[in-house]
Amino acid sequence: MTKVRGAHVYWNPITETLPRDKLMELQLRKFQKIVAWAYEHSKFHRQLYQDAGVEPGDIKSWDDIRRVPKVEKSMMRQIQRKDPFPYGDMLCVPLERVTEFHQTSGTTGQPVYQADTWQDWEWWSEAWSYIMYAQGFRDTDRIFLPFGYNIFVAYWAGHYGGEKMGCEVVPGGVLDTEARILKMQELRTTALMATPTYVLGMADTARSMGIDPAKDLQVERILCAGEPGASIPATKQRMEEAWGAKVHDHVGATEIGAWAYECTAQPGGLHVNEALFLIELEDIVTGESIAEPGRRGKLIITALDRMGQPCIRFDSKDVTEWAEEPCPCGRTFRVIKGGVVGRADDITKVKGVLLAPSAIEEVVRSFPELGDEFEVEVTKKGDIDAISLKVELRPEAEGQRESVETRLVEQLRLKTNLRYNLQFHDYGTLPRYVLKSKRFKDLRPH
Amino acid sequence: MGDGDIDKHMLQEMDDRIQSIKKAALELQELCGGIQAVYRNADRILASVKMLEINVSDVLDVL
Repeated sequence: MTKVRGAHVYWNPITETLPRDKLMELQLRKFQKIVAWAYEHSKFHRQLYQDAGVEPGDIKSWDDIRRVPKVEKSMMRQIQRKDPFPYGDMLCVPLERVTEFHQTSGTTGQPVYQADTWQDWEWWSEAWSYIMYAQGFRDTDRIFLPFGYNIFVAYWAGHYGGEKMGCEVVPGGVLDTEARILKMQELRTTALMATPTYVLGMADTARSMGIDPAKDLQVERILCAGEPGASIPATKQRMEEAWGAKVHDHVGATEIGAWAYECTAQPGGLHVNEALFLIELEDIVTGESIAEPGRRGKLIITALDRMGQPCIRFDSKDVTEWAEEPCPCGRTFRVIKGGVVGRADDITKVKGVLLAPSAIEEVVRSFPELGDEFEVEVTKKGDIDAISLKVELRPEAEGQRESVETRLVEQLRLKTNLRYNLQFHDYGTLPRYVLKSKRFKDLRPH
Repeated sequence: MGDGDIDKHMLQEMDDRIQSIKKAALELQELCGGIQAVYRNADRILASVKMLEINVSDVLDVL
């Protein structure tokens, strides 16, 4: 068997190095097909498109894509919990074709249910195979998954993607953190998948057990998801140093799929998987399409091959910008600079200043004297906003409190244009999270 | 074993095999007389065939 060029680098060199004009043609054709499929099989989509005066045959060019109405999560909430129960009219297949149930975490409101057929579930693990291969996972890896295996899609697809790639997958389900660390040590696992918060928390716990993850465990690569941390340089550095491993980010969502990934070149951003998704970037305020690099907008995402409960022009509210340079890895898939830097509905005004919570994380995590955990609270006293930041000083830095405070105030002011009420807490007393963290609390009455 | 380039002919050959597998799996479902052990396993083959189409056949359409 003659191997084709790139077969050892890319999960699929056919799609991942396709010239951009061909890639765009492929996406347009697939978009036309998925819109036609949804129009024919889902009452919700047919009504949505009819109300907008659009029929599948009207989509003839890339410009026409924007004529198709966007779908918001709130629209999904309205139609769910009705027949076909519990998914409602967005479902494109008979209920008996549905084999997987998952739901969103409900961080922004009532959870949304997501149906997948077995074919869709294959598609999920296909998307994860693209991610994992790009991040250096191979069939020689033994992956540990410290994940609760529950109704949230989280690392379920990572588990199946790992199996598809021929890796050995160790399900670390109901074990507590200490037991998980001991199991990883016992099995000499080479890879780990978890949220950045939990990756840092595990390292902390390991050290308290007398185990140095960088020296005593054999993890070479860590795949992160669920939070932006692995795309925040200071957080990524903390994780890589703690574990002596390469850390890579990826982005996905229950109702979309796993749509972007960092490759081993670590280009300071994530590749959009343009073989499986069509990604549009638009201005948060005007809705104007953004094609050029360097201008932030929110992402509108279409999963091109998800059939059971399609995701067509979904308003993800994820905020990012296109990167300037192509990635040295050779993939022709575009790169979003710095990953997802926030959510359109997370970026909030405090004291009249626009604030993205990830900017605070970048500052806090750049201080080696501080622990991994922090918490931000925004409150209102009368007409005036107040913002407080709780941090933990590491025990070994106890004598440097004043110096840390001075530098932290200065850096926060430089990076976020805000002055904070700083509160130092004893090390280990702020909440620790296993899945998505809730470090930013906006307690102002709305 | 050296490196070769991907060309349209190679994709066409792969697509031919993919369509053969799809046809055989669909025929199995027709032939099985409702035997679940056959029908469901053929169904899983078809889901994998769809992934092959995504990775190979769909691309062939734009080359």
